[in-house]
Amino acid sequence: MAKSEDLTRIITGCKKGNAECFSQLVDIYSKRCYGYFYRLTGRREISDDLLSELFVKLVEKISSYKGSSFESWLFKIASNVFHDYLRSKQRYKKLLEVQKKQLESEVTEPKHREDDRADKLQKELDKLDADTRELIMLRFYSQLSFKEIAEMRSEPIGTTLSKLHRGVKRLRELME
Amino acid sequence: MNKRSQNDEDVKALFEKFVNSEQAEQAAEDFLEAEQILRSCPAPGPDDEVIAGIKSQIAWALLDRKEIVFKRKALKAVAVAAVFIVLAALSVKLFEKQSQPQKIVYASIIPRAIWESEDIVSDDVNLATLTAEIEQIKDEMLALQLDDDGDNGSGVIEELEMEFIEINSDFWKG
Repeated sequence: MAKSEDLTRIITGCKKGNAECFSQLVDIYSKRCYGYFYRLTGRREISDDLLSELFVKLVEKISSYKGSSFESWLFKIASNVFHDYLRSKQRYKKLLEVQKKQLESEVTEPKHREDDRADKLQKELDKLDADTRELIMLRFYSQLSFKEIAEMRSEPIGTTLSKLHRGVKRLRELME
Repeated sequence: MNKRSQNDEDVKALFEKFVNSEQAEQAAEDFLEAEQILRSCPAPGPDDEVIAGIKSQIAWALLDRKEIVFKRKALKAVAVAAVFIVLAALSVKLFEKQSQPQKIVYASIIPRAIWESEDIVSDDVNLATLTAEIEQIKDEMLALQLDDDGDNGSGVIEELEMEFIEINSDFWKG
């Protein structure tokens, strides 16, 4: 993870339109953002597209970043990118079709044991409701505090804690 | 994941604000366990090609942004210059108006050409017509006096004289 001063320097460079600084931002955050998108969609191609969209949005919006928590700001954009994706009906339909195919292939094709647990996680995550799943992924990949997540979602911290706890408890049960 | 560890330390304390100590401890344990599950099943990372593609997309987006910024600045400069030119033109006109002495213009009833002319008759159309008629009558009278008109000439002369007098009086009446 980049040090705070380094991150400030990188963001200042980005605001000036320095491509090298944007490149550094991509190197720092692409893995976490990709993981967030992948765990929400379950598809690499879609996650690739969403990640590209996120960083292009970042270029457009970097001038509006006022210097609060950068990760909170970045994941807010990531969340919006994901919601925009969901709102698009065609894409949503595509996602359902893809998931259907995935389930069918899981029935017919046996998989390696190593992949099993990862796939099981993806499958169990799909059993959680969309909001709880997103909340857990936001907490895990953004590494934001509960307070920051609550602020980002514009809800009281008690509500965030309660939803998150219900979600992780259910996930624990499902993965046992 | 330092930040995460710090946050984990606060989970129990945070939950204790809403639930009892036992429940808060259970919640903290649930969080730790869930995070361990997620860590043990890492999501795949993006391919190098994807990252390269994103970086190239960013480079293009930055070029576009620079172009837009340049266009915006150019348009702003043109707009400011236009406003400046209009204002300058208006202030010059206003200044000219203020500095010029006021001229008094008198409307002349009689056209200046006629007023200054020596030959009033040729300048006034009515006067010219009347003068021509008088000349014609004079010629006719002269011709009659020279007996060009035959025996009945005297009557005609009188008639012409009367006409002449009438025209003359009409003219002076205006």
